[in-house]
Amino acid sequence: MGASMMAGPHGTATACAPRPLVVWSIALVGCAASVVSVSLAATFHPNSGAIAGEAGKPLVLALLFGWLTSAYVGCGLIAWWHRPASRFGPLMIVLGFTIFVTGLARAANDLVFTIGYAVHLLPPVLFAQLFLAFPTGRLRTPLQRSMITGACATALGLSLFRMTLGGLGRHNLLEVVDAPGAAMTVLRVQLLVIIATCMTAFVLLVVRRAGAGPPLRRSLNVLIISFAGGLLMIGLHLGSIVVGAPAVQQIRWATFATLGVAPIAFLVGMLNDRLARSAVGELVIELRQEPAPADLRDGLARALRDPSLTLAYWLPDFSRYVDSDGRPVDLPAPDSSRATTLIDHRGAHVAVLLHDPSLVDEPALLEAVAAAAGIALENGRLHADLRARLDELRGSRARIVDAGQRERKRLERDLHDGAQQRLVALSLELSLLEGTLQADPAACSTIDHARNEIATSLEELRDIARGLHPAVVSGHGLEVALEQLAARAPVPVRLHVDMANRLPERLEVAAFYLVAESLANVGKHAGAASAAITVARIGDQVVVEVVDDGIGGADAERGSGLRGLADRVEALEGRLRVWSPAGGGTRLRAELPCAW
Amino acid sequence: MRVVIAEDSVLLREGLERLLQENGLDVVGTCQTGDELLELVRREPPEVAIVDIRLPPTHNDEGMQAALEIRAERPDVGVLVLSQYVELGLAMKLLGESADGAGYLLKDRISDVQDFIAAVHRVAAGGSAIDPIIVSTLLAKRRRDDPLTALTPREAEVLELMAQGRSNQGIADKLTITLRAVEKYVSSIFGKLGLPTGCGDSRRVLAVLLYLHS
Repeated sequence: MGASMMAGPHGTATACAPRPLVVWSIALVGCAASVVSVSLAATFHPNSGAIAGEAGKPLVLALLFGWLTSAYVGCGLIAWWHRPASRFGPLMIVLGFTIFVTGLARAANDLVFTIGYAVHLLPPVLFAQLFLAFPTGRLRTPLQRSMITGACATALGLSLFRMTLGGLGRHNLLEVVDAPGAAMTVLRVQLLVIIATCMTAFVLLVVRRAGAGPPLRRSLNVLIISFAGGLLMIGLHLGSIVVGAPAVQQIRWATFATLGVAPIAFLVGMLNDRLARSAVGELVIELRQEPAPADLRDGLARALRDPSLTLAYWLPDFSRYVDSDGRPVDLPAPDSSRATTLIDHRGAHVAVLLHDPSLVDEPALLEAVAAAAGIALENGRLHADLRARLDELRGSRARIVDAGQRERKRLERDLHDGAQQRLVALSLELSLLEGTLQADPAACSTIDHARNEIATSLEELRDIARGLHPAVVSGHGLEVALEQLAARAPVPVRLHVDMANRLPERLEVAAFYLVAESLANVGKHAGAASAAITVARIGDQVVVEVVDDGIGGADAERGSGLRGLADRVEALEGRLRVWSPAGGGTRLRAELPCAW
Repeated sequence: MRVVIAEDSVLLREGLERLLQENGLDVVGTCQTGDELLELVRREPPEVAIVDIRLPPTHNDEGMQAALEIRAERPDVGVLVLSQYVELGLAMKLLGESADGAGYLLKDRISDVQDFIAAVHRVAAGGSAIDPIIVSTLLAKRRRDDPLTALTPREAEVLELMAQGRSNQGIADKLTITLRAVEKYVSSIFGKLGLPTGCGDSRRVLAVLLYLHS
């Protein structure tokens, strides 16, 4: 059993976990960076006013800086380690270090300040990129990529240009002219572009989650909310700088704190995923209890924690996917909000899971669930296959019956309009001829003989036509047609038809034959003195009952007559029941579904 | 006597027209559909309309519907329905509450010219013509303990002809017995079946049919 992603942007086999040496080195550097960040922020004297809006309690800021750096680097490492195929981890690490580098702007060294200041507007853009790229670490659309690239260029390129305009104090190595007014204008432009980027990313996130529908996993929800909240706070913070709002410092703290929540939410989500593996164990136990195929989907949905999960079986003979009832299922388009995981068993494709795209980020879980459900899925597929075949068989039986009936009706009509009319006309011609030959008794007798022959032929044709199709049923309805059957029956028959409207022709014809054959059986086998026929519409069924007071003992399985009747009824998806106790008469009841 | 014909088979329509004309009837119009028939009857009111039960466009019950409409709209116009099959249910539907001026015969009966022309005359005159198959069907389904079993074979024969719509004279001719004898059989039959005596020819047809059908 193997699972493979079909429409996830995830899943390159070449990705492998980073080497432990690399991980430890990065962790070490990250720790050092956090310490440097904290000490720089704590010892920073904001008298230079170099960093926009920077003022107030240095220790709070120092701790927030240290936390952001270490949290993003640390979480990035964990993510990279567990999901090497995703770029999300490395992206987090880069972001963590960038935050550290921006902190260098607080340093007294000219070069260090210049480097730190050059990137100090980059983190908001990187946050926007990171959050938009969850969970794969890749941006989804070219538009998003160009937006982030543009914002990066604004944050980094314009900062370098702005530094040539001076106004940043003595540590700025890039100052060419001293034009603080122009520098301020450029800064405003930068801030506005970055605000716009963050707000767009916020809207994109919200729209994407709303589009994914309600069945979203809870830990993921918290994560997305923290992402969206972070972006909103960045926008608010930068906005407050642009308009020079009074509480800039407090807003900055709140912003940093909000951004600091995202890694925690991320870790909790990962922990949940680990716990989810134990749900696979529950699934295995559940599958041992041989659930019905419908339960298989529910079990898988529970194990994968995705209530929106759809399970579709692949039927190679039909070249289509079906649900457990054999009804066709269409796969979503590759770029839709649903992801697709194909499941194979012993080299053959068995089923497909349509699930929340966030599951793409948990290939191991998908793999484990697919493996656990292996044989059950194969069984489920066989069930679905059987049902699909049954449906098809039912459909084709109904079509064959209909086609047969149409053909018989056509033949009856041809007989009626052709041979029967011609024979009547011929007989009439002979009569007219006879009128002119009154003087020749021998000729008259021959004509009379011929006319009798024609009468016999007509009678035979009438019997054949009636056997082909009961035209009177089509023409005048079941009730009128049953009168003749009842009158011609071998025993006196009480007829009761309770129907407001005509039924579909196939039902009327079936009911007619049902009564005709039942009455024939009554005459042949029942030894009855009388019989009763009831036809009634009960709910969405037509119920035909033929009851006699004969010897009973009719066997539905042995008597080919009864078997034929049952076939006729079942072809219309109805049910035939026979009660025939020895000596107690026979009661035959057919229930035909009728939606009209 | 004025007759109209509604029959979609050309062969039969023309044959019927010739047959009627040769027997001194005046065919004032022929047509092929139920709607045309209704229009023809309104335009050229005949004494009797001869109608094929299956008419275009669907060949289902158009002829029957037209016949029922004429009977409701123009009680003075006799309606003789012809069909390749005769059905008890259809006979009862056509007659409704009265057998006056109504006929329902198998198409084959046309070639028995004398009987057929007599039936046309009877229906035109407000009498009735019920196919022998219908009558025999009704007679066949009687129970063993039925009052019908009390009838003599001759009386049964008379009952059958009576149910077909024949007059006493018609029955006398058919059985080659005297009118007096027929009248004697009829009153004996009515006595045995408990039917009210003294009604006219066509009333008694319905009475006998309903008695048999009950």
